[in-house]
Amino acid sequence: MLSRLYLGAVLPCLADLTEQDGAAREILGHLHASIVFLVLKGPSCTLRLQDGRIAWQPGCGRAPAVILAILGARHLNAFFSGRRWAVPLPIWGGWRVGLLSRFSQLAQRLEEVLDGTPSVLASAEGRRLHARLSLILAVLALRALAQGDAPSREILAALPPGLASFTIRGELSATMWFEHGSNRAGRGEPPRCPEVRIVFDDVATAYGAMREEIDTMAALGSGKIQVDGLVPLADGLNAVMERLRVYLKP
Amino acid sequence: MSAAQTGRDRYRRSRELFARAVEVIPCGIYGHASPAAALPGALPYYAERAAGSRYWDVDGNEFIDYLCGYGPVVLGHQEPRVEAAALEQQRAALCVNHPARVMVELAERLVSLVKFSSWAVFGKNGSDMTTWALQVAREHTRRRKILKVAGAYHGIDPWCTPGHAGLLAEDRAHIHDFTWNDPESFDRLLARYPGDVAGVIMTPFHHPSFKPSEMPARGFWAHIESACRRDGIVLILDDIRAGFRLDLRGSHACFGFEPDLICLCKALANGHALSAALGRKELHVAASRVFLTGSYWNSPPAMAAALACLEILEQENVPATLRRLGEMLTSGLIEAGARHGYAMLASGPPAVPFVSFVEDPSWRRQQRFCAEVARGGAFLHPHHNWFLCAAHTPDDIAATLRMADQAFALMRSEGL
Repeated sequence: MLSRLYLGAVLPCLADLTEQDGAAREILGHLHASIVFLVLKGPSCTLRLQDGRIAWQPGCGRAPAVILAILGARHLNAFFSGRRWAVPLPIWGGWRVGLLSRFSQLAQRLEEVLDGTPSVLASAEGRRLHARLSLILAVLALRALAQGDAPSREILAALPPGLASFTIRGELSATMWFEHGSNRAGRGEPPRCPEVRIVFDDVATAYGAMREEIDTMAALGSGKIQVDGLVPLADGLNAVMERLRVYLKP
Repeated sequence: MSAAQTGRDRYRRSRELFARAVEVIPCGIYGHASPAAALPGALPYYAERAAGSRYWDVDGNEFIDYLCGYGPVVLGHQEPRVEAAALEQQRAALCVNHPARVMVELAERLVSLVKFSSWAVFGKNGSDMTTWALQVAREHTRRRKILKVAGAYHGIDPWCTPGHAGLLAEDRAHIHDFTWNDPESFDRLLARYPGDVAGVIMTPFHHPSFKPSEMPARGFWAHIESACRRDGIVLILDDIRAGFRLDLRGSHACFGFEPDLICLCKALANGHALSAALGRKELHVAASRVFLTGSYWNSPPAMAAALACLEILEQENVPATLRRLGEMLTSGLIEAGARHGYAMLASGPPAVPFVSFVEDPSWRRQQRFCAEVARGGAFLHPHHNWFLCAAHTPDDIAATLRMADQAFALMRSEGL
């Protein structure tokens, strides 16, 4: 479960982080390389670093510069928790110390933003980043939760099938979608008209909702959060998203 | 939708009150009346007054009311004979140290109406009774398991709340769901927990939100009833929503079976806070052993209102009136939809109907339709079944159908 969450939901956030965060772009610089993450007997993914951006794709990409192996979920969790002993094992490209060092810094920056450390949340820009990435993480995590988390599967089994989109108004490229039924998710405009649209009126509302710091029912009544269409799907997906805190604790 | 389309201008005072409410009340409005459960901004949030088949919101908008306070209003708002009985009792005693005579009289009246029952107890809300009924079933059988239909609403207690927050897995460790109209899914649970099923709790027909209602398939209730008799399982009918709207003997009389316990509430006292559970003689001892009380549960005025309400329901054969009015409404909506090219589905019994679009997986047509009808002056909930009351008139229905016709026409012109 943790492997799926990290590889399928956390690492893809690097794409948005490098698009939106100057600090992350500075770390990334002009690196041109690809890194494969491989969980032994588990999933894998590839990060392509190019032109100051990062692209994520599932599976092992061809000709990677580095292959990082993770022994299992505990190892992966320890790595993302900052345990020094838990670095992934470079089974290929271990000599590319500069690339590994910068990737380690990027991973650390991502953790800070997702966790919402005090230094990140001290500024409006940091809160904006935290809200965006928390939403991206939560929606992408739905895939993993739908596959491997028993309580989530129980909730989803009671939901009508359909596509849900999540948008922060005023934020470019901050629309996420998840299709219950096919278990597909993505960033950007959904592939068809969604059965339910969830729109956060602004970053502050999204920030408060993602951090469970606002009364979302009041926000719905006030129009700060708009849900139109198949409301039970939005309600159920929200309950599934809340399962994330069981696995990913700041 | 524009502000005018969503009705934001119509509901200024509602919005202002809501803005004050969110400062001092979690959710602003919580539970089933939350704007989030309906159409935020397109329906009123606060009511001012009500009479007969109508209510007025705080902005002065008038609505023909097809939700009837989510069901309790069965004769019409402020029915004078019911209100007089309640007021007279209130003047005598509102909240005293002992139950009043009216409690005994009401129990006798209910037991005489619901044939299988020999005793009655009272609470204030549906959940008071459904949760207590489960305890009685467990006490009677000394078993643990309760079977219920997936998606059915039985109240807000942890074993059944549709909410997700504040729950433990243990809350539902002995609650198991089967599928409405699927006897095999029911049988599978019986086979999985032999000798451990205390009770089965079901509504007389299935009325989930965001779905058309489903009537029982032929033989479904007979199957459930015979299995309960065979295995000594207590059959609990949650008749909170439909009770006394379909039949004064209890809704089971419409579907040819008899439960062991029946929970009643909404149509009992025409809006006064009262619920009741009635049971078979064999459950009397178990019922006496399960503690039951609440600060206001013995309050006499609601019981006096119930006696008056029951008398009117019986004398005026209100269930037949509700059926007739409901048939007018549902058939009229289907015809109006068809005129504009919309296939509509009427589900549930006519007295507790729900009409929805056949092709509307996102429910946006339904939501727009109900928003437009509300602009015209009738309140049809987009996601929850509706209620007829005895104060509705054929003229009300005709006016509603005219509003519906206009709403369908507008939607068609917009290509919805």
